[in-house]
Amino acid sequence: MEAPPDPGPHASASASAAAPLRAPEVARLREEQEKVVTNCQEKIQHWKKVDDDYNALQERLSTLPDKLSYNIMVPFGPFAFMPGKLVHTNEVTVLLGDNWFAKCSAKQAVGLVEHRKEHVRKTIDDLKKVMKNFESRVEFTEDLQKMSDAAGDIVDIREEIKTDFEFKAKHRIAHKPHSKPKISDVFEADFANDLKSKDLLGDKELWARLEELERQEELLGEIDIDSNTDTVIANGDDTSSEEEKEDQNINVNVMHQVTDSLTPSSCYKNVSNSEIFNGQVNRQLNCSINGSNSYHSNEDEEDDDDDDGDDGGGDNENDHDTLGTGDNSVPTIYFSHTVEPKRVRINTGKNTTLKFSEKKEEAKRKRKNSSGSGHSAHELPMIRTPADIYRVFVDIVNGEYVPRKSILKSRSRENSVCSDTSESSAADFDDRRGVLRSISCEEATCSDTSESILEEEQQENHQKKLLPLSGAPEAFSGTVIEKEFLSPSLPSHPAMAHPMLPTIPERKEVLSEVSEETTKRVSKFKAARLQQKS
Amino acid sequence: MPSRGARPEDGAGLVPADISTPHKEDLSSKIKEQKVVVDELSNLKKNRKVYRQQQNSNIFFLADRTEMLSESKSILDELRKEYQEIENSEKTKVKK
Repeated sequence: MEAPPDPGPHASASASAAAPLRAPEVARLREEQEKVVTNCQEKIQHWKKVDDDYNALQERLSTLPDKLSYNIMVPFGPFAFMPGKLVHTNEVTVLLGDNWFAKCSAKQAVGLVEHRKEHVRKTIDDLKKVMKNFESRVEFTEDLQKMSDAAGDIVDIREEIKTDFEFKAKHRIAHKPHSKPKISDVFEADFANDLKSKDLLGDKELWARLEELERQEELLGEIDIDSNTDTVIANGDDTSSEEEKEDQNINVNVMHQVTDSLTPSSCYKNVSNSEIFNGQVNRQLNCSINGSNSYHSNEDEEDDDDDDGDDGGGDNENDHDTLGTGDNSVPTIYFSHTVEPKRVRINTGKNTTLKFSEKKEEAKRKRKNSSGSGHSAHELPMIRTPADIYRVFVDIVNGEYVPRKSILKSRSRENSVCSDTSESSAADFDDRRGVLRSISCEEATCSDTSESILEEEQQENHQKKLLPLSGAPEAFSGTVIEKEFLSPSLPSHPAMAHPMLPTIPERKEVLSEVSEETTKRVSKFKAARLQQKS
Repeated sequence: MPSRGARPEDGAGLVPADISTPHKEDLSSKIKEQKVVVDELSNLKKNRKVYRQQQNSNIFFLADRTEMLSESKSILDELRKEYQEIENSEKTKVKK
C-alpha cells in the first residue's frame, strides 16, 4: 500500500536527473528496485489472501463437528446448486498435494491448517523483509541521485577497457592437426609410419628391463596371480601386449610385454622411480608397437582375452570372435594392471595422481578398440599430456585450425579434423558392441567418451587405411569398464591389451586402474581361469 | 418453506470477513456491496432461506436470516468507520 505511491515520483525524479552519475542508469536501477518492491507487495497480498482463506477454513472446521449435519447447497458445476445435507461432519479428506488425500478428523484437519498457516506466515514475513530491504535500497538510490544532482562531487569511477584486451582463452592457438609436440623424440619416430626394426630393438631392451622388474616383483611376491603366464599375458593385454604380439606373433614378445605390464605395476608399488621408468618403457614399447605392428593375430587376442578373462575375459573373447577379429592393431592407449589396489595413478613423472584421466583413457581405449578393425601403423599421435590431446583434435573452421573447446564433444563440429572416419568406425564399433550388450552399462558410460575417441579413431582409421591389416583381431571388446566389474569378462581387457597407446603418463593410471581391478578381482580371475581351464 | 428462490441471492458470499484496509476506492466499493447485501437481507420474506458461502469454495451453508442481517449490518458499520478514518487522515494531510 505504501510502496505504490513511491515509485511514480521516484522514477520521474531519477529520469530527470542527468548528472555525472549517469542518470539513466541510476534511474533504471531504481526502477528495477521498485519493481522488486511492488512485486513483493503483490505477493504479500496474495499470501495474505491465502492466509485469510485458511483462517476461514480453520474456523469452519473447528465448528463443523458441532452439528451432526448441515443443510447446504451442493454445487453442481459452477452455476448449479441443489440442496443437500452435509453429514459425517467429522470426516475430512485433506489434499496433501499431487492429488493425494488423507482422511482425518476435523480436529486433525485444523491442526494441518494451522501448520499451513505457519508456512504462509513465514512466507509473508520473508517477503516483507525483502520488501523492506529493497525499499531501503530505493531510498539509497534516491538519495544518491539527489546528491549527485545537487553537487557534482559524486562521480562514478570508470576504467576504460582496452579494445584489444582479450581473454586468455582467445589466445589459444590451434595446433596443426596431428602435429607433434616439441618434445618429440624417439617416441615420435617410433610412431612415424613404419619403424619396425628400431622399435623391435628398443623393445627388446625394454623387454629385458621389464623382465627384470617382473622377476623382482615375483621375488617380492607382490603378484597375486595364480598362473603367472596367464596373468602375465593378461597384463600384457591390458597394457600393451596385444599389439606387440600382433606384430609377429612371437611368444617371446608376448612374454616381454607381459613382463612389461607386470613390471610397471610392481615397480609402481615398490619403487616410485621404477614406475616412471616403466612407464617410459611402456611408452616406447607401445609406440613402437603402434607404429611397427599393424595388427594382432587373432590368437594373440584370444590369449589376451583369455588373460583378460580373468577380469572378465570370457566375454571379451566371445566379443572378439563375434566382432570380427579382422581389426587388430589400432593405435591404442594401453592400460596395464598395477598391483596397487586402491589408487589409479597417472604417471606424469611427477608422482602426481590424477583420477580424472581415467575417463580419457577409457575413451582412448574405446578408440583403439573401435579403430582396431582397420589399424594403421601410420602416425599414431603421442598423447602424453593434455596438450597433446589438442594436437590430435583440431577443428577446422573456414579452413583455419581452431583449438577445440572440448575433446569430449566430437560431434559438436562436423568439420573437426578427426571426425571423418570416426563416425563410421564408431558405428561399426557399436554394431560390434551390440553383441556384448549384456555389459551395456559400462558401454553406456563409455559411449560418452567414445565420441572423442572416435575422432582419434578416425585418424587412426586413416592410418589403418594406409596400412591395411588383414584379419587382425580386435583388441577392443567394445565395453569399457570403469571400476565396477561384475563379471570377469569385461571389455576393459581389450583396451588393456593394447599397450600401444601413446600416452605413457596416462597409461600408468590406466594401469593402476586396471591393477586395482585386477588386484581386487584376483580371486575372480583365478576362478574364471579355473573354470575356463576346467 | 419455499425457500428455493431465496437462497441464491443471499448466497452472495456475504461476509467479507476481513476488512483488509484497502484503498479508499476499494473501501467505498465494498461499502456499496455491503449496503446492497443489507438491503436485500432486510427485504427478504421471513420464510426465506439464506445461505452463506464458505470462503474460497463453492459450498453454501444454510444460515439464519436474522443473524446474517445483523452481521452484515455490523460489517457495514465497520467499513464505514474505516472509510471515515481514511478520509479524516487525508483531510489532515491536506491541511498540513
